[in-house]
Amino acid sequence: MTQQKNLLVIDDDPDFVEGIKSILDAAGYNVDVEYNPKTGLQALQTKTYDLLLLDIMMGRGAEGIMIARKLRKDPKLREMPVLIITGIREQMAFLFPGEPVHPRFVAVDELVEKPVEPKLLLEKVSTLIEMAEARKTKSE
Amino acid sequence: MDTKSKILIIDDEEVVSDSCTLILEGSDYTVRTAEDGASGLKLVNELQPDLVFIDLKMPGIQGIEVLEKITESNPTIVSIVITGYATVTSAVEAMKKGAYDFLPKPFTPDEFRLITKRGLERRKLMLETIALRKEKEILRENFAAIVSHELKSPLGAIQQNLYALNDELSAVLTENQKTRFERMKSRIDDLIKLIHLWLRGMSIDIGKISENFASISISTVISKAMESVEPHAKRKDIQILTSIDESICPIEGEEVSFEEALVNIMGNAIKYSFPGSQISVKAKQAGDNIIITISDTGVGISKEELPYILVDFYKGKSGKEIEDSHGLGLTISRRIIEAHKGMISVESEQGKGTTFSISVPALM
Repeated sequence: MTQQKNLLVIDDDPDFVEGIKSILDAAGYNVDVEYNPKTGLQALQTKTYDLLLLDIMMGRGAEGIMIARKLRKDPKLREMPVLIITGIREQMAFLFPGEPVHPRFVAVDELVEKPVEPKLLLEKVSTLIEMAEARKTKSE
Repeated sequence: MDTKSKILIIDDEEVVSDSCTLILEGSDYTVRTAEDGASGLKLVNELQPDLVFIDLKMPGIQGIEVLEKITESNPTIVSIVITGYATVTSAVEAMKKGAYDFLPKPFTPDEFRLITKRGLERRKLMLETIALRKEKEILRENFAAIVSHELKSPLGAIQQNLYALNDELSAVLTENQKTRFERMKSRIDDLIKLIHLWLRGMSIDIGKISENFASISISTVISKAMESVEPHAKRKDIQILTSIDESICPIEGEEVSFEEALVNIMGNAIKYSFPGSQISVKAKQAGDNIIITISDTGVGISKEELPYILVDFYKGKSGKEIEDSHGLGLTISRRIIEAHKGMISVESEQGKGTTFSISVPALM
């Protein structure tokens, strides 16, 4: 990786964000943060990111899922990998009755639980970015 | 209820309804009367009374029919029948149809006041029960969401920052400070696990476990469970010794749940063991069954408590309070093992230790 990667975090818990941002900062990523789904979507429209780290339970409910669904429909943003970071393992069953605990929101996402160990976080982030890049080169 | 209690008396004899009204006068009630079943039922709908007295013998609609209609339209309204011919049969029939009590004529003012008071208490209890049931349902439904977000989020944020700080400060922290960091992390980890456990207790659906049954290896599931409790054991300097028969058959089950059942029991054993002691985990085949025993030499469970240890929501209270118990863990284990068509039993002696035995059918 020669060029610094741009990551976006959308999460409404500033304390939690501090915790992961500093890990990602230290690993050399350029990290932007949005604290609500609305400005998060705006940020995604205006700047190109290599990876989105997305919280699910925001605002009045699972607003993160709305974002994930919108991304899936957008031809440009569809290619961007999404790492879902959530504290709602059990609630998945309520949100997606009959679906497995690990629902695939978008084609290229992964899910980790809050809190996430630095090693695991960095592993997932770099793997997802590499996979996305490999896909890109392949399609070119 | 801050409004006055509403009482309706349905009786064709004016003497009776008038004297009843008089008896209750001065008390904190609103009393209305009706002289026949039809107008009585109309008033019930309008008034939604707390308590209704119904004369069983009236012209027009019979008292028993009025009673049925009231119970049908609003079962929380308390009905008491007044019966002129105090036969047991009519009273029993009325009770069967939903009457709360019966009052044989003639009655004294005191009798009437007393039965009114009891009827209204009954109504209050019924309304309270309904409200509590509703509340419980709402709580249960929202429990996962509330717990997840309100408890787990702050813990997650704290833990995430501990992770980050630990890494950022690793160059300057002394060994002692690093150990303290580790301890903080593991304490928060325990709390998060506890929340997960409670969530499981609320939502565990035993019927669903069997949908994913497959063959599972006893040694694999035991070593996985051991891995999960290892850090806790290490902290207390407790050694876990295993002895598993080599030729042991697999069982039919769901590995994740079965592992969870073992983790809860092993965790419990560690929790109630003294530092530096040993826990033994044995698995052997006995006929058509696999027997897994988990023994500790810890504080033990008293004879009085022993029968309740696997019952829902029991939490050890006497014993030495070495660590806080989860209470729910063993119950979840029992439910999981029963879903595996197995049985769990416990033997214990205070001061000597505890042995849990799990017996599940072998897959042969």
